[in-house]
Amino acid sequence: MPALLINGQRVDAADGATILDAARAAEIDLPTLCWYPKLPTVGNCRICVVSVEGEDKLLPACAATVAEGMRVETESAAALDARRGVLQMLLERYPADHLINGGRAEPRNEFEEYVVRYGVTPRAVAAHELSLRQGDERPGDPMISHDMSLCILCTRCVRACEDIQVVGVLDVAYRGEGAQIVVGADGDPDKAACTWCGECVRVCPTGAIFEVMPRERFGESRVAADRVVRSICPYCGVGCQIDLHVKDNEIARVTSPTFEETTPNDGSTCVKGRFGYDFTQHRDRLTKPLIRKGWVRRGGRWIWEGATGAARRGGPWQSMTEEGRGDKPAAPPRAIGKRIRDLSLLERITADVRDRATTPETWYQPFREATWDEALELVTQELTRIHADHGPDAMAVFQSAKCSNEENYLLQRLFRGAFGTNNVDHCTRLCHSTSVSAMQDALNTAAASGSMREVEEACDVIFIAGANTTETHPVFGVSLKRAHERGAFLIVADPRRTELAARADVHLQMQPGTDVALLNAMLQHILAEGLENWSFIETRTHDFDTVRKAVQPYTPERAAAITGIPAELIRAAAERYARGPNTTTIWAMGLTQHLTGHDMVTSLLNLILATGMIGRWGAAMMPVRGQNNVQGSSDMGAIPFAFPDYQAVADPANRDKFARVWGVDPKTMSLVPGLTVTEMAREGSPVKALYIMGENPIISDPDIAHAEAWFRTIEFLVVQDMFLTETARYGDVILPAASFAEKTGTFVNTERRIQLSEQAIDPPGQARADWEILVDLSNRIGIKSPFSSPADVMEEIREVAPAWAGVTYARLRGGGLQYPVPHDDHPGTAFLFADRFPTADGRALFHAVEYADPGELPDDEYPFVMNTGRMLYHWHTGTMTRRSRGLDAREPVATVEVHPDDAAELGLADGDMAKITSRRNSIVISVRMSDRVARRQIFVPFHFREAAANLLTNPVLEPHAKMAALKVTAVRLEPATVPATA
Amino acid sequence: MGYPHEPHPKETLILSKHFGDAGARSYDGWVKCGGYQALKRALAMDPADVIEIVKESGLRGRGGAGFPTGLKWSFMPKERRKPHYLCCNADESEPGTFKDREIMRWTPHALIEGCAIAQHAIQAEVCYIYIRGEFTEPIAIMQAALDEAYREGVLGGNAMGTNRRIDMYIHRGAGAYICGEETALMNSIEGRRGNPRIRPPFPAQQGVFGMPTTINNVETLVSVLPVLNEGAEWYKDLSLGNPKSTGTKLFSVCGHVRKPGNYEVTMGFPLGELVNDLCGGMRDGRTLKACIPGGSSVPILNREETEACLLDYEGCVEQGTMLGSGGVIVFDDSADMVYQIMRLARFYAHESCAQCTQCREGTAWTVRILERILRGEGEMKDLDLLLDLSEQMTGKTICVLSDSCAAPIVSGIKKFRDEFEAYITGAKQPVAALT
Repeated sequence: MPALLINGQRVDAADGATILDAARAAEIDLPTLCWYPKLPTVGNCRICVVSVEGEDKLLPACAATVAEGMRVETESAAALDARRGVLQMLLERYPADHLINGGRAEPRNEFEEYVVRYGVTPRAVAAHELSLRQGDERPGDPMISHDMSLCILCTRCVRACEDIQVVGVLDVAYRGEGAQIVVGADGDPDKAACTWCGECVRVCPTGAIFEVMPRERFGESRVAADRVVRSICPYCGVGCQIDLHVKDNEIARVTSPTFEETTPNDGSTCVKGRFGYDFTQHRDRLTKPLIRKGWVRRGGRWIWEGATGAARRGGPWQSMTEEGRGDKPAAPPRAIGKRIRDLSLLERITADVRDRATTPETWYQPFREATWDEALELVTQELTRIHADHGPDAMAVFQSAKCSNEENYLLQRLFRGAFGTNNVDHCTRLCHSTSVSAMQDALNTAAASGSMREVEEACDVIFIAGANTTETHPVFGVSLKRAHERGAFLIVADPRRTELAARADVHLQMQPGTDVALLNAMLQHILAEGLENWSFIETRTHDFDTVRKAVQPYTPERAAAITGIPAELIRAAAERYARGPNTTTIWAMGLTQHLTGHDMVTSLLNLILATGMIGRWGAAMMPVRGQNNVQGSSDMGAIPFAFPDYQAVADPANRDKFARVWGVDPKTMSLVPGLTVTEMAREGSPVKALYIMGENPIISDPDIAHAEAWFRTIEFLVVQDMFLTETARYGDVILPAASFAEKTGTFVNTERRIQLSEQAIDPPGQARADWEILVDLSNRIGIKSPFSSPADVMEEIREVAPAWAGVTYARLRGGGLQYPVPHDDHPGTAFLFADRFPTADGRALFHAVEYADPGELPDDEYPFVMNTGRMLYHWHTGTMTRRSRGLDAREPVATVEVHPDDAAELGLADGDMAKITSRRNSIVISVRMSDRVARRQIFVPFHFREAAANLLTNPVLEPHAKMAALKVTAVRLEPATVPATA
Repeated sequence: MGYPHEPHPKETLILSKHFGDAGARSYDGWVKCGGYQALKRALAMDPADVIEIVKESGLRGRGGAGFPTGLKWSFMPKERRKPHYLCCNADESEPGTFKDREIMRWTPHALIEGCAIAQHAIQAEVCYIYIRGEFTEPIAIMQAALDEAYREGVLGGNAMGTNRRIDMYIHRGAGAYICGEETALMNSIEGRRGNPRIRPPFPAQQGVFGMPTTINNVETLVSVLPVLNEGAEWYKDLSLGNPKSTGTKLFSVCGHVRKPGNYEVTMGFPLGELVNDLCGGMRDGRTLKACIPGGSSVPILNREETEACLLDYEGCVEQGTMLGSGGVIVFDDSADMVYQIMRLARFYAHESCAQCTQCREGTAWTVRILERILRGEGEMKDLDLLLDLSEQMTGKTICVLSDSCAAPIVSGIKKFRDEFEAYITGAKQPVAALT
C-alpha cells in the first residue's frame, strides 16, 4: 500500500494503482478524455498529465503507477499549460464557435466542459488552419449515427467495441491528421458484424457517436432530461440495469449506469436494452379497456347477445395460417446505405417498418371501448360465474414472465385463493420447465447456482450446451467472450455454428436432439480416464452406481454414430471439462425444448455432479433464463405445483399457511398440482375461463392453428396487455396494462438477483399498472388486498417466502440482492451449494438416463429438421420489438436460415421466398443463406406472425414437465410458387 | 558513394570492412572472413558472461538513443520462465540514414551472427528481424543468407551443433516510419496497428506478444562481433578519448557535400573533419551553412557548431544536439532553411501515428503555419505560435515523434530567425509552388 502526496494531501493507494486511480479514490478531480473505466488504458489524449517531483517530464496520471513517497501536483502551472495546449489543439479540428465569447453557450458534452473549465478560447471554424475531422458516418442507420466533426480521436469507442463488446467494428484508420474512426473495412457496419449494442454511444465524450432517435425528436441540442430513473431492461434474463431519461413524460433515451456501480451489466447493454424502448410510445398502445361487442349490461348483469359458436370469436381478420399470405406492404431492405431523409416522402412512408407488424385496424372492430368499472365488473361476474358453474378446474391463468414479482404474486394469489385452482402457469413451461424438473429431482433447486460475474472472472472452462448466448443474452454473451479472451477454454455443444460456437475451442456440432448420447459419452470417457471427482461423488451425492452402469455403453464411438460428432472431439471436450479446475456449465433452450428435455438436463447434471463442477466460485451451474422475470415468476408461484418460493401445493401445511395469510378458508384451496400452459390450451382441456396477463400464446405455443381453434371455443377470456396482440383478438375483455417504464416493481435475473425497477413515466391514457389492476380485481372478487403500492405486496411476499425474508425495497436499491436472503441483515447469496444441497440429507441424487430419439425424425417427405429460436434484434412474439423502430429496421422480415448447399440444390438464393411445410401446416418465408446451420437443418425465428414458426411445430409434450418439443420438427423446404406479398 | 570504393585513410573499417565484397555475402565467404567465430565463442560462454563482456566494451545502441547495450540485455529476466524474444530493428527510416541497409546488403551473415549472439545472451529462441519494406534488395539478401544459415546448421533446432534452438524470421515493414519506434515495431510484428505503447511496462518485462523482449538496432548487433572477437578492452580503446562512447560508428552523410556516402570512424571523430575532409567539403563556391548530425530528428547545428562538434554521444550533446542514428545532413549556403524545416515537419506530420493529441494535431498545424510563411502570408506572431506548439509537442507524448518534429523547428527559429522573418516581412520572395 504505497502512500503518496497529491496536492499535499496524503493518499493511500492500492499496489499497482495509477496516479489517476489514487486521485479518484481520494476524490481529487482530474480531467480525462481517452481514459474511461473498464477500458484498457492507452494514454493518448495527454490531458490528465500531472507534475511529479523529481520527474523532468509531466506524467500521464492514467498510465503512471504510484510509488511510495511520490509527490504529485495535479494543478501545477506546467500541467495546466499542457492541458490547455491539448484542448487548443483539439479545438483546431472541432466546431466550437458557440463557445467563443467567453463560453456563454452551454457546453454540450464532456469535452466542451473541459474547454470551458480551463478557459480555452476556441478559434472560429472559418479561421482554423486544420480542417474539421472526418470519419465513417453510418448513413441511414436507424439507431446509431456519427458526426465525426465532433470526434477528438480519444478512441474510447474503438476500445469499447473491441475490448468490452469483443466485436471490433470500429477502428482508427489512416495516420497523422488524416486519422479517423472507421466502421469496418468499407463503412458498412453490417458487414463488420456490428451488433448495434451502442457501447460506442455510451463512451463517446463528445456526441460524435450518437443515438438517432433522441436527436430526431429533440434536435441537435443536448437532451436535457426532466429526470433520470433507474429501471430494469424489459427483455432477457440478464437483468441489465438501465437509466431512463424522461422528457415531457416520454422516454427520451436510455443509458446504462456507470461501470463503477454494481450492476449485472457492468455498464453495458445490448441493442434491445439501449434502443428498444420506443414501443412504450407506440401508437398501438391500448389506452382504454375493451369489451367485445355483444356483451351488454341489462338489469345489473352482463349478458352475451352476440353470435355464438365458432363465429363468436370470429373477426374480420385472417387466421394465423392465412396471415403470411396477406397483402402486407413489402418490407424495406435492411436500412443501411441511404439516409431516411434522403428518401422521397412516399418512400419514407412505406419504409415505416412499423406498419408491417402493428395491429391491423380490423382487429379493433369486434371491440368497443369501455370504462374500467364496466370491464372489471364483467370480468368479476364471469370469472365468479364460471367458477360457480364448473368448479375450480375450469379456471386457469397464464401469468407473465414479463411482469414483476409483485404482480405475479398477486395473480396466483387471486386464482389459488379465490378460485381454489392450481391451474397457474406461465411461459416458463416453454422455457426452462424441463431444467426445473430435472434440477428439482437431482438437487431440489430451481435456479442457477452461481453468478454471471464469476463466469467472467474465475472459470477456467466454459461448457455451453444449446445456448446462443451472444444473441439471446447479449450482455452475458459478451462477458463469455471476454472470459474466452482472458484464456478460459470454451466448449460449445450446438447444432448451429453460432457466434460462440465459431469462436469456441471445441464445437460439438451434433444432430438436433442427440444431446443425451453426447453427454452420456462425455461422462463415460471421464470415468474411463478416471477424471471423475471421487471425493465429491462420495460425500455429496447418492446413486452414482446406477449412472456409472448406465453410461458404460455410451462409448464416444457410439455417441459419434448417433450425434455425428467425431469421437475424438467428444473425448477432448470431456477431458477439458473434467480437468477444469473450475468448469462452468451453461445451458438454455437448446437443451430444454425437446421431447427428451428433462433427460438431457439430467444427463448434464450427472456430468456436473460426477466432476464436482458446482458450488465453487468459478464452477457454476447456469441455466440462463430467457425472460426478464421468468425466474421471479416461478419464484412467485406462477407454476402449477408450487406456492411462492417453491413450497409444494400438495403439502397441506403450506396450504394452511397461505390460506391464513390470504384470509381464505384452506378447504377451498386445492392440494392437487394444476395444469400446465401446454395442457390448458388444447382440445379436451377442462378450462372454460382463462385469464392471460402479458403473454401471447397464439405465437409462442406449438401448433398454433390448433391452439387458435381452442381459443375460439373458450367460454371467457381476459387478456391484460399493452397491445391488442394476436391472442388478445380472442378476448372478451382486454385490459390495457402499463409497460415496464410505467410502473414500479421487482424482477429476478438469471443469477437470482432481485432488482428494483422504478416508475419513470405515466401509462398512456387510462392504462394501469398490472398490480393496480390485480389489486382492484382481487378486492372485487373478494380476496382482501389492502395494498397501496408494490412495496406493500413485497411485505407480504417476505412473510410467506423464506428465501425472500430479508428483501425490502430500501435494500434493493443499487445492485439488488441475490436470494436466498433469509433475514434482514443477510447480504444475499452469490453462489449456492458450497457445502450441501437443499435436499433432505444435503446430498444430490444421480439419475440414470438413456438416449431416445427426439420425436419427429426427418424422412423422405419431410427431409429437413427445423430448429426454432430467437434472433438478436427481436424478442419472442415481437409484441415489443416489432414496434421498436430501430430494432425492426434491422430485421424487418421473417427469414429462414438455409445452408448454402441445400439452397443451391433447391434453387433458392438469398431473399427468395421459400415454403416450409411440416406435418401440420406451412409458412412462406424469406431465405437467408447461412453456414450457421448444418446441411439438412434450417432455423426459423418465431418472432414473426406473418411466418409463424409455431404453425409448424409439433404439439407433442415432454412427459415430466409438459414441455413442447420446439427444437425438432421434420419439414419440407421448397421454393414458394406464390409470393407472400403482393 | 556506392560500394565498392576506396576507403578514406582516416576511416576505421571494422563493420564496413567487407562492404563492396560480394564474396562476403555467402556463408562460405563469411566464414573465410572470420565469420561465426564470435558466435562460436559466445555459445561456449554463459549468457551472463556474454552480457558482461558487452557491458564492459561500452557498446551503446546505434539506433538513436545510445542506451548501453549490455545493460539493456541485463534487464531481461535471468531465468527463462516464458519465451524471450529478440527483435532486430532494421526498419531504417530516419531521413538521412542508410547504414543498416549497407550492413544487410553486404554482410547479412554478420547480422545473423550478431542476432544469434544476442539471442544466446538474453536466452531468446526466436528473433524477428524487422526490415523496412522498401528495402527489397536487402530483404532478398537477408532471406537468402537466413536460408543458408539454416542449411548450414547455424540456426534451427541444433544451432552450431549445440543442441540449442535459435530461430530467426524476417518481418517486412509496410511503410510506416513509426514502426521503427521499438514498441510500435512490436505492435506491428503482432499484426496490430503500429502505435507506440506506453512505458512502463518496458519491453524487457512485457514486449512482443507480452513476453520479455529486447530490441536492438542492426548496427548495434553487428558491433557485438568485434567485441567478442577482439575483446572488450580492444573495443573500448576505439575511442578518441571519451570513455563513454566507444568503438566505431557508421555515419551516413548526405546533402551538399562532394562525396556523400557511409563513413566508418571511431567515436569522437570531429564532425567538421568528416564533412570537409572525408566527404570532400562543399561544392565549388559554396560554404557550409548548417548540419543535422544525427538523422532528421535532432536539433540543427549552425556552421560554428558543426565545426566544433565531436561525433560521439557526449560531443553532440555539448553542441546542443544528439548523435542519433548518425545520419549527417549537410546544408550549404544555397539552402532555404525555412523550406527545409517545412519539409522535415511535413515528414513528421505524415508519419505521426495519430495517437497523441499534440503529435497528431501539432505536427499538422506546424506544417500549415510553415507553409503559410513560405507563401508570404506569415505574421511575426506565427513564430511565437510555432514555438508554443513546439513546446507542447516536446516531452508530452507517448513516443518522441513530435519531439523530433519540434527539434529542428525550435533550433531553426533560434539559429536562422532572419530567414523566417525575411519571408514574413516580404524581404524574401514567397515560394511560388510548395512541393
